[in-house]
Amino acid sequence: MNVTQWKNKMTDLSRRDFLKLIRNGFLYLSGVLVTGGLLRFLSYESEPKRKTEFDIGSADNYPLGSRTSIPEIPALLIHTESGYTALSLTCTHLGCTLEPNETGFACPCHNSSFDEAGNVIHGPAVKPLQVLRIEITDDGNIKVFTA
Amino acid sequence: MQNKPTTFHFLLLIASGLLLAALSFLWWNDSRQPAPISLTPTLSGETEYCLTCHVDLPEISASHPADTFGCVSCHGGERLALNADLAHSTMRGGANPSDFSVVEASCGGSNCHSGSEADDRHHIQRVMTSVQSTYAGAIASIRYTFGAQTDLNAHFGIQAVIDEQSKTGISSLETFNPVDEAHPSIQKFGEECLSCHLHAEPREGEAYARETGCAACHSTKKHTLTTAIPYTQCNACHNRGNYDLRTMTFVERTDHPTQRIDDYYQPIAQFTQCEYTLDCVDCHTRSEVMGDGDIHNDQASIEYVQCKTCHGTLEELPLTKTLTDPNDIAFTLAFLNPIKDLKLGDTIIVTEKGEPLWNTKVLPDGTYEMIGKATNQYFTFRPVMGTACEQKPDEQESHYCHECHAVEK
Repeated sequence: MNVTQWKNKMTDLSRRDFLKLIRNGFLYLSGVLVTGGLLRFLSYESEPKRKTEFDIGSADNYPLGSRTSIPEIPALLIHTESGYTALSLTCTHLGCTLEPNETGFACPCHNSSFDEAGNVIHGPAVKPLQVLRIEITDDGNIKVFTA
Repeated sequence: MQNKPTTFHFLLLIASGLLLAALSFLWWNDSRQPAPISLTPTLSGETEYCLTCHVDLPEISASHPADTFGCVSCHGGERLALNADLAHSTMRGGANPSDFSVVEASCGGSNCHSGSEADDRHHIQRVMTSVQSTYAGAIASIRYTFGAQTDLNAHFGIQAVIDEQSKTGISSLETFNPVDEAHPSIQKFGEECLSCHLHAEPREGEAYARETGCAACHSTKKHTLTTAIPYTQCNACHNRGNYDLRTMTFVERTDHPTQRIDDYYQPIAQFTQCEYTLDCVDCHTRSEVMGDGDIHNDQASIEYVQCKTCHGTLEELPLTKTLTDPNDIAFTLAFLNPIKDLKLGDTIIVTEKGEPLWNTKVLPDGTYEMIGKATNQYFTFRPVMGTACEQKPDEQESHYCHECHAVEK
C-alpha cells in the first residue's frame, strides 16, 4: 500500500471504524503494559542475592609463599607447599572485617585477636577464623566459596 | 456481519483507559522515589534499604560499623520499605533503641550487651539494677521522711527489678507508684522530682538535653556512642539545680557559669583542682556509674572511689597492677577509647575492688600519670606518702582533703 492508497483508506474510514481502531489500540496497549507490569512484578527481587562465589583470577597470580588479601570477600589467600588456603577475614564474634597486625589479625570493632593461622589469641571472639572452600577451575582460575 | 458497539465494548474501553491511567500514575510515582541504596550487613546477612534516606548519618561508633551491624539489628524497622512511615513503623524506641523499654531487644544478646557476668558483658543487667536506673535511694529517703516506711532501706525502684543472686542483701525492688502513696508530699515528689533517672525523659531546656537509657550517658551528640563522656553529659542530671523539699519541686539553676569550676556539679560545693579539672569518668568507675549487677540501697553504697584511690595515704601507696593478661578488661576499655597505647607490662592504678584505672600509669620515678578520657589532657601527680600531708589514713572522705586542698572560688 502506497501513501496515496493509505490516505484514501483513512479518508474512507467511518467514524465507527475509527472508534473501533482506537478501542482496539487501547486494549492492545493495556494488555502489553499489564503483561509487562506482571512480568516485572514476578521477576522483582526485593533484595539482591548475596554473592557466595568469587572468581579471584588465575592461580598464577598467587605464587608459592604469597599471602594475598582479597578485600572483596574478605579473605586471605595463602599459597604454601601444601596448596592454597583461603582464610576468612570476617571476625567470628560479630562479623567485622579483620585487619592484619604484627601477630596475625585484629578486629577493629571489639579487639578480638587471631594468629596467622586464624586461631583466637584473645576474645571476645571464641571461634577460630573460618577456612573457606576453594576450587581451581579448568582454565586455572581460583574460586572461593563463602557458603 | 456488522459489529455494533455494545455496552460491553464501551466498558472495556473505559476499563483499559483507567488501567492505563493507573499504570501511568504508578510509573510517575515510582520515578519520584529515590534510587534504593542497599546494605547487607554481615551480622544479619539481610539486605536493608535504610541508607536510601539516611546515607548522611555518621557511623555511630567504631564498635558498631554499619557494614557489620546495619541499622535494623539495633533500630528495628521494616528493612525493605522505601516509604518512610512504613519503614519506621516497627522501629524500637523511636530514634533511641537504647531506651530501657526496648533495650534488651536492641542492644541485648549474649554476644552483645546482655552476655554473661563471667565475660563482663552483662551491661544491661548491671544498668537496669543500678541506682541511676532504680533511683532507689531518693525514693526510700522521701518515703522515710514522710512516714511511709520506717527505715531508709530501699524497697521501691522506678521499675521493679529482681536479682536473686544479689550480694547486697536486696534481692528485689517493687515498682514505685506515687499515686498509691497516702502522703501528698510523696505524691508531689512523684510528679515533680522523677525526671533524672535513666527511664525518664529529661526536663525541657538545653541544659537538660539527653536521651534515655544507655544513650543518656553514651550519646553526646546525634547518632554517636562513646565512652569518652565529658562532664557536661553528666551535668544534664547532676548539675541542674536543687530540689526544694518544702514545696517538693525542682528549682532550676539560674546562673550561667563561664568557668569550669563554677559549672561543675553543685555551685555551693568545694573542689580540689583535680575534681573539677578532670571529667567525672576519669575517676568514677564503671561499677559506680553503671552498676555492678547488684541492687544497691542508694548512691552512697555504690560509690567508693576516694582521693586515696589515686593518691594513697601517708601509710600506703595506691593499689597498682602490672598488666600481664591480654584479656584484661583494661585493654578492652582502652581499646574503646584509644587515648593511650596501653601495653602488656604497663603498671596502672586499680581501685580497692580491683577495677582498673586504665588511663593511669605508674612512672619510673614513682609518680603517676593520668590522661583525661574525654579531654585527652595529660596530668601527673604524686602519692601522699612521703609528703608533709597530715591526712589521717582513716579520714578519707573528700571533705577532709578539701580542708587544705579546696580551690577558692
